[in-house]
Amino acid sequence: MLPAAAIFHFPWEINSVKEGGSVRTYGRLVCYQPEESRATLSAQHASKEHHVVVHTLFVEPFNPIIGAQYIVLGETENTEGIGVMVRARVLNCVDGVNIALLQKAINEQRSFFRERECKQGKPA
Amino acid sequence: MQAATMDPSEEPPSVLWGLDPVFSAFARLYVRDILQMTESTQVPGIYFYNSHPIYKVDALGTVVYKREREDFFCYGVDDGTGVINCLCWKSNLFREEEDDPGKFSALTTVMFHSVSLSETHAGGKHSDVSPGSFNPVTELKKLREAQQKNCRLEIGELLRVRGPVKTSRHQREIMASTYYKVDDPVMAVQIAWMMEIPQLYRQCYDKPPQLQHKAESDTSSLSKATNIIKDFLKQKSVSRFRPYDVQDLLQPLVSCQPQTTSADQEPEAGPSACQQLRQLLKEALELLQDEGIIYRKVKSQDEIYHVTAQDKDLLIAVKDIIREDSKREKYAEKGCHILHILSAVRQRHSLNVSKAALELVLRSLECNSDIVSTSEHHYTVF
Repeated sequence: MLPAAAIFHFPWEINSVKEGGSVRTYGRLVCYQPEESRATLSAQHASKEHHVVVHTLFVEPFNPIIGAQYIVLGETENTEGIGVMVRARVLNCVDGVNIALLQKAINEQRSFFRERECKQGKPA
Repeated sequence: MQAATMDPSEEPPSVLWGLDPVFSAFARLYVRDILQMTESTQVPGIYFYNSHPIYKVDALGTVVYKREREDFFCYGVDDGTGVINCLCWKSNLFREEEDDPGKFSALTTVMFHSVSLSETHAGGKHSDVSPGSFNPVTELKKLREAQQKNCRLEIGELLRVRGPVKTSRHQREIMASTYYKVDDPVMAVQIAWMMEIPQLYRQCYDKPPQLQHKAESDTSSLSKATNIIKDFLKQKSVSRFRPYDVQDLLQPLVSCQPQTTSADQEPEAGPSACQQLRQLLKEALELLQDEGIIYRKVKSQDEIYHVTAQDKDLLIAVKDIIREDSKREKYAEKGCHILHILSAVRQRHSLNVSKAALELVLRSLECNSDIVSTSEHHYTVF
């Protein structure tokens, strides 16, 4: 069966995703603990650093490059002690990506859908 | 949320589908919309997004699911809005090696022999192929490997797929007519795609299709007006006219427009028919001037418009300018540039000749072989 669509979220929004939701997000790999299959991505937003904890069991073995940008696709789950964690189905290194442009593209797509839902809401 | 739920009665008749350019294009829709568009009741396999008839789509997304069969791959493609199954047939090149290695090697041997034969004929050399030279067997092998690499995707890789949409066992899927792996190490392709699609929707898919000619809008009445004037000028070979000469021609466009003023309102609430007519005429004449079809030789109280194509004086002036100046050393080799001709025409003939009008004149002179264009924007006379 096909998995649910992984919708783009900014790293600082992952905490507000409801459990089991499929997400895709990005961040700089700051830490990888292979014995626990856990990686941490980090991104800056509004002068604050945000972390996304990624469970990497399904995508192992992978080549961890500390400091590189990664894209992750997976489901969120709540783990005690850690909080929201993304169980990765896909973890791709995309180092060199233009993050500002990516953010713009995500916002562009969101504003398009918002606009369209607004328009469809009116006649209904 | 259903993207486009439609009454079967609202479905445009199938004879009109071809009028929509989206119908014959690979529509770049979001996967979510591909999954939600309504299927036609008249012809299965045709879908409607926002009344646009669609049967083939173009998608880009991450592979999140894969299954391999003998003849095809089945990839689940996720573009961030939805996930759709893509049925991707293996090409013959792909299968030949797996099923029938003998056939493949036979083919390459034939090719190899023909090449080496021609080599011996040409150079009188022996057919031993040195490592650096062109070897069809290895080249074909490389080609096949490249093809296989582009077709066999793993989860997490990016797939671009085009093809018709099918519904099988209540599931939408794309029957890939073309598909390939996209190398996108820094997400440039994905970002460009994400930026482009909303624009495509706004400019195209979200606009209702113009399957019937509806002439109610102002813009189309303007284009009608200009067409009426153009036809009139052409039929009667008019060379000069004043606005009131053509005003009556536009009368039907104004009077047939729906009356917006109700019986209770005073007539002066909206612009009167006469004013509307004058406004329409003014806009139409401006448009024709912008296109260069007409121009005003002298800007005076008396509004006289010259028809560019019928203005013999202008044609002769342009021809003379090019003939005289092509002889000058400066223009002898390349011919005269259009801007040079323009300024000369303005000095000699009329200050008000527009570039569009001059382009029209140059085109008609060139059609008659009076002048020749040497390169883009350069003209000369032989």
